[in-house]
Amino acid sequence: MSILVDENTKVLVQGITGKEGSRAAHEMLAYGTKVLAGVTPGKGGQTTEDGVPVFNSVKEAVAQFPEINTALIVVPPQFVGAAAAESIEADIPLIDILTEKVPVAQVATMIALARKHGVVLVGPSSVGIISPKKGKIGSIGSSELVHTIFSKGNIGVISKSGGMTAEVSRILTDADLGQSTVIGIGGDLLIGADFVDIARLFEKDEDTKAIVIFGEVGGTYEEQLAREMKSGSISKPVVALIAGQFSEKLPQDTVLGHAGAIVSKGRGSAASKIAALKEAGALIADTPEDIPGLVRKALQK
Amino acid sequence: MKLLEYQGKELFEKYGIATPKAVLVRQSVQEVSLSVPLVLKSQVPFGDRKKKGGIVFVEDKASLASELKKLFEKPIDGALPKEVLIEEVASFSQELYLSFSYDTDSRSPVLAVSLQGGSGIDAAKLFPIDLTTGVSGQFFKESLERAGVSNPSVVKIAHSLWEVFEKEQALLAEINPLFVLQDGSCVAGDAKIILDDNVANPSHRPFLDLPGDIAILASGGGASLLNLDILMHYGGNPANYVEYSGNPPASVVEELTVKVLSRPGLKGCWVVGGTANFTDIYETLLGFVQGLRKVDPKPTYPIVIRRDGPRQKEAFAMLKEVAEKEGYDFHLYGPETPMSESGRILVELVSKG
Repeated sequence: MSILVDENTKVLVQGITGKEGSRAAHEMLAYGTKVLAGVTPGKGGQTTEDGVPVFNSVKEAVAQFPEINTALIVVPPQFVGAAAAESIEADIPLIDILTEKVPVAQVATMIALARKHGVVLVGPSSVGIISPKKGKIGSIGSSELVHTIFSKGNIGVISKSGGMTAEVSRILTDADLGQSTVIGIGGDLLIGADFVDIARLFEKDEDTKAIVIFGEVGGTYEEQLAREMKSGSISKPVVALIAGQFSEKLPQDTVLGHAGAIVSKGRGSAASKIAALKEAGALIADTPEDIPGLVRKALQK
Repeated sequence: MKLLEYQGKELFEKYGIATPKAVLVRQSVQEVSLSVPLVLKSQVPFGDRKKKGGIVFVEDKASLASELKKLFEKPIDGALPKEVLIEEVASFSQELYLSFSYDTDSRSPVLAVSLQGGSGIDAAKLFPIDLTTGVSGQFFKESLERAGVSNPSVVKIAHSLWEVFEKEQALLAEINPLFVLQDGSCVAGDAKIILDDNVANPSHRPFLDLPGDIAILASGGGASLLNLDILMHYGGNPANYVEYSGNPPASVVEELTVKVLSRPGLKGCWVVGGTANFTDIYETLLGFVQGLRKVDPKPTYPIVIRRDGPRQKEAFAMLKEVAEKEGYDFHLYGPETPMSESGRILVELVSKG
């Protein structure tokens, strides 16, 4: 097993004729994931270089391919809200947004809409989702490196950072700890699925034995995970690497590497997240290289 | 992007939120047509200005000029104000806290209300807003009542503040304190507005000066934060924070390199990133070398470079040649060396001096 993405994933790419969209589609196909259709308004009727049919709207695409169960959104930031509304209203159960710098007001609206429709929204600024050897969506594991970085196994990885999905997975793979599914949830202020939402899916997944998270200063998503661990709804072991401790002395409200990485005092600070997770029983890594040792320790418990 | 108080108050006036009678000054003034007592407020984009000495009360106009001069010369969190806002002190019967922001718990906009003006959002009652149904006047009225406020002019202010938040695409629109006067009318004592950079300034790259002596060029939103932590974990002191992911052209990296390395007193430099998915490492490091050549005096301190990704081997071959021909102290590491290990090596090289 794995979560969200597997051999049965059938993808629609919104923005498939753009540079990023066509690259993502090409790489998903190369990994063996089925990309059934693409959408670019005004370009319906065309076919991409990889032979994927292009439609003018999500509605037209799902009429032709009702088996589509995943949408990847790779359109310019200002169009993401409208694109997401289309796939949410078509009740596509999983929507992954690769686009970065999406206006927060649009993100808030689509999160509310996705909730009403019971749709899982991942992102924005999500590098993608990969279940090694089964399938992937987004630009996670680009190029041939995908086969050396990710390997099949029992560790679930959730990361706010796209780059760190690869870094953490490579370190796990090198230590013979394969992954069930690796998910980039994005580091925006507001995100669709957060640590808790994804950890709940890992909790139910038989093949996931432990969860590794990469979190950062800002927001309260890490604190919420700690709360769920304490309440017992997340019982699988969690190993956490939390970045941004250096920012403690910087002026409040300073925005760092991601839009959601906002310097905070107290709640939202890296120290608060580490303390909350530690208290909830998570093992805290100081460096990425500490992760495999802590995972093994957690699995022995 | 955080607005200064006076910029926020200009927005408030536009949306019908009253502010105290005020004069904005950019240098000394001889006379202001305001009545004492007055409050002088340093226009810097930082919180806790009162505690930091950026807010001064003046009882008589005789001391205005000297107090103003002091304020212009007083750095707050390292920044001198370009403007000082002089305001009449409001005589009020109540102070409230009112704001709209995005809450990461409910993942929606929230109205925050507190009967204690001056205290922050932590003491406030939060009322999440359902964006699928929209916001009605009834919502503001009921929420404020539940927070203990029944004054209709506060309801009106809440409505106007929501308009500021929504139409200006703000991440935060805050009035703290909101003065309620004897007659029940309201005046915004302060204005804190943070606009969404994704709308207001999408090409924004964070850059911060830090007190240390190791310059850093870090890639990756998450990895850049982590690497500063790691450097400090090994006893190094970062001189700056910057992040430049997303396959930047060589010219951007060049400019950034000059900016980061032009600071005096540096003892080392760390160019670091994880395994890049599609950042052209050759292009990036070419930009670094171009920038390095422009730095005066020529850096002789150790420069540790840890990069991996497309064209990494070509890039390292180029760097080796540059180091030999031009005499730079490069230490090159690829994917076989963890990022954190390269940080440890740099701290060791720097401490050996």
